[in-house]
Amino acid sequence: MREIFKRAYDWIDERAKLGDLVDYMGKKYVPINRHSVWYYFGGVSLFLFIIQVVTGIMLLLYYKGSEELAFESIHFIMSKVEFGWLIRSIHSWAANLFILAAMIHMFSVFFTKSYRKPREMTWLTGMFMFFLALGFGFSGYLLPWNELAFFATKVGTDIAGALPFIGEPLLVFLRGGEDVTGATLSRFFGFHVAVLPGIFTVLLGIHLLLVQRQGMSEPIGEEGAEKGESKRMPFFPNFILRDLLLWLLVLNLLAILAVVFPWELGQKADLFASAPAGIKPEWYFLYMFQTLKYIPARVLIVDGEVLGVLVFALAGVLWTMVPFLDRKSQRGEKNKLIDYIGIFAVVYIVVFTILGWLF
Amino acid sequence: MRIPVLSAILALSATFSPVLGQSVRPDQCLECHQALGDPPVELFANDVHLQKGISCADCHGGDPTQEDMEESMSSKAGFRGVMKGDDISAVCGSCHSSTETMRRFGSRLSTDQFALLELSVHGQQGVSGEASILQCTSCHSAHGVVPVDHPSSRVYPLNIVATCSACHSNASYMQRYNPALPVDQLDKYRTSVHGKRNGKGDPNVAECASCHGGHDVRPAGDVKSRVYATNIPAMCAECHGDEGTMGPYGIATDQYEEFRQSVHGVALLEKADLAAPACNDCHGNHGAIPPGVASISKVCGTCHVLNADLFAQSPHELGFAELGLPECETCHGNHAIIAATDQLLGVDEEAVCSQCHSETDRPEGYAVAHMMRQLIDSLETETETAGLLIEEAEQKGMEVTEPKYKLREARQVRFESRTMVHSFDGEQFTEVVEKGLKTASDVKQEAAAAIGEYHYRRTGLGVATLIITILAISLYLYLRKIEKRPRERGHAGTSTQ
Repeated sequence: MREIFKRAYDWIDERAKLGDLVDYMGKKYVPINRHSVWYYFGGVSLFLFIIQVVTGIMLLLYYKGSEELAFESIHFIMSKVEFGWLIRSIHSWAANLFILAAMIHMFSVFFTKSYRKPREMTWLTGMFMFFLALGFGFSGYLLPWNELAFFATKVGTDIAGALPFIGEPLLVFLRGGEDVTGATLSRFFGFHVAVLPGIFTVLLGIHLLLVQRQGMSEPIGEEGAEKGESKRMPFFPNFILRDLLLWLLVLNLLAILAVVFPWELGQKADLFASAPAGIKPEWYFLYMFQTLKYIPARVLIVDGEVLGVLVFALAGVLWTMVPFLDRKSQRGEKNKLIDYIGIFAVVYIVVFTILGWLF
Repeated sequence: MRIPVLSAILALSATFSPVLGQSVRPDQCLECHQALGDPPVELFANDVHLQKGISCADCHGGDPTQEDMEESMSSKAGFRGVMKGDDISAVCGSCHSSTETMRRFGSRLSTDQFALLELSVHGQQGVSGEASILQCTSCHSAHGVVPVDHPSSRVYPLNIVATCSACHSNASYMQRYNPALPVDQLDKYRTSVHGKRNGKGDPNVAECASCHGGHDVRPAGDVKSRVYATNIPAMCAECHGDEGTMGPYGIATDQYEEFRQSVHGVALLEKADLAAPACNDCHGNHGAIPPGVASISKVCGTCHVLNADLFAQSPHELGFAELGLPECETCHGNHAIIAATDQLLGVDEEAVCSQCHSETDRPEGYAVAHMMRQLIDSLETETETAGLLIEEAEQKGMEVTEPKYKLREARQVRFESRTMVHSFDGEQFTEVVEKGLKTASDVKQEAAAAIGEYHYRRTGLGVATLIITILAISLYLYLRKIEKRPRERGHAGTSTQ
């Protein structure tokens, strides 16, 4: 058996020069420090994304993205297709875990200031991927065409429509018209399975390439692993196998969630029905939604909702641009202000998400 | 002969009248109009207003003390002449809407008649666009008004039917206001017990105003109308629930109480379900029974059509007729009809079949009743069991939309079988129930399969978790092994180089 593998490897190596890659991998090391645990969340995010791609393709074999058939096709997947219920449930759960893992990954990079030179582009591609992940969540939520999804999309696109100047055309662009209709569903389906994955894949490629080229960042004050001055572990096989171990655990968690808490389908959307009470967006939008509820209808001369949306948009831009704003960390000095901002952001998100959940 | 008496009354009343007490001079209005032979003067001789000391001038204005016609009927003296339109009711209302004035005349009449009239259907604007449809005088007359309990009053129970029908039986008149309203109410009324007794001179039976009200007549579709569907039972009970009124006729007074507790009463009065029958739906409105029904015993079939059709083809139709038994009422009762349950069927003590059928007396019916009850009980048990299984599967998070839909079919068959009971035909009944049993059985199987699938999934999860755990432990052990190896050789697996 070993002989067969060796011959196969030699055959490929002769043509694809695998030796160079193996040499490169063999010389690649991952630093070991008290923040090393956060390194794994990038890998977990990647794993969950792969699961999304695989389960998404499987769902695509049966899903029909039209107003008349979307709900029915998901119902068919869940009741008639062999293991369809499992695939759909895993896809829904993995979507949420993916955003959670990406958030943890993003905050860990933020707190360890890993966005410092030379990793500004890695941060930027990561942030864009995070925004795309939110877009995946928002567009995917509508696809079952159920009551909750329909009204959550209505509210969500309404908020986008509140933006000054670009709000109205943005709303029409997102909805494919003035209202949420079958046209919105077709559009969201297109975004979800073609536009977003296409852009995401390019960004992911750049992101992974940069990570491989630059290696793992070391927190300020704990540098030296690259030069062999502090503890480190080989990327291959140690780090890869540790990643794999975590992936297995995540896979098991997903299976448990999908079987014990199967994702419900709800009632089919009725365009003429009134909105059910307590419409809420997905948990990752909840803190923003809850904030908008607390802002008064008018703040001085500005519409409260517009103000809220603008503040969040500005915060998103500043957050994305942090590698260029945080000069202190760039110089290798500790920047407490960034830590405080990060802590504030985490506390704010957690508190307002809980408030949104409760009220 | 009457005229001098009239003058004497007016002279006297002018002396003592609190309104007109200023003068003892004879009423010049009467003096002159008597001489002219005006009919209103003669009518006025019996008018209740005259007896209370109210003169012509109190309504028509003018100065009755002046002999000179120019002066007595001058606008300066407030002469109004013959009033028209709403001015008529306004003059009546000027006294009849004033508690103080009415009390001064020793009257206990209600003072809200005018207000009620204005809100009533008759208070709406007439086709002329200048005045209400009715004025006070339209029903009470102008110069011959007598108390309502006086046999000569136009609104006395024996006369009011003619008063109302003067307009309501006039098709060309009614067409102007409500072409959809029938004009044969009087004819129908005369066919009813109420109408017949009224025609024979009984003033205590219901006439138009008893049901529709006097001044407050509203369209039947108005929720405030006395004859709005949900108000009818209480309205009828004003007489039919009163022992004093019903005693002389020997009619029971418990119908309303029975009806309130019946399935129809609960639907109509508590749930405001207008599809449920009120008294008139079975007993008729103006006529004796609803149109198209041979007798009240067949009235149930106007709503319960399928049951009535099946009954008409059943052996009970003839049997009941021979025994002089009413159709539906024999088993279900009349005013106190409770919701029909399966307990009515069968040969148990509470079953109505056993009232006529026993093992020895009419045994064929006994056997059919026994079999029907067994089948309907089986169907109930099967559908309930299927429902419980569906519920269990749903609670386990399983997708059971299809069997749930089928369960509705099985439950529908239960209703169908209850209807089919009225055929009293064992074969027809069995055919229907077996259809339901088959559906319930399918539902049970599908629900059980869903529950089985639930356990299969859990088992699968257990196996998958076991495999993943073994893989994870193996991986962990392998990692420990490869990370230990360099240390054994004097290097850290997690190297510092």
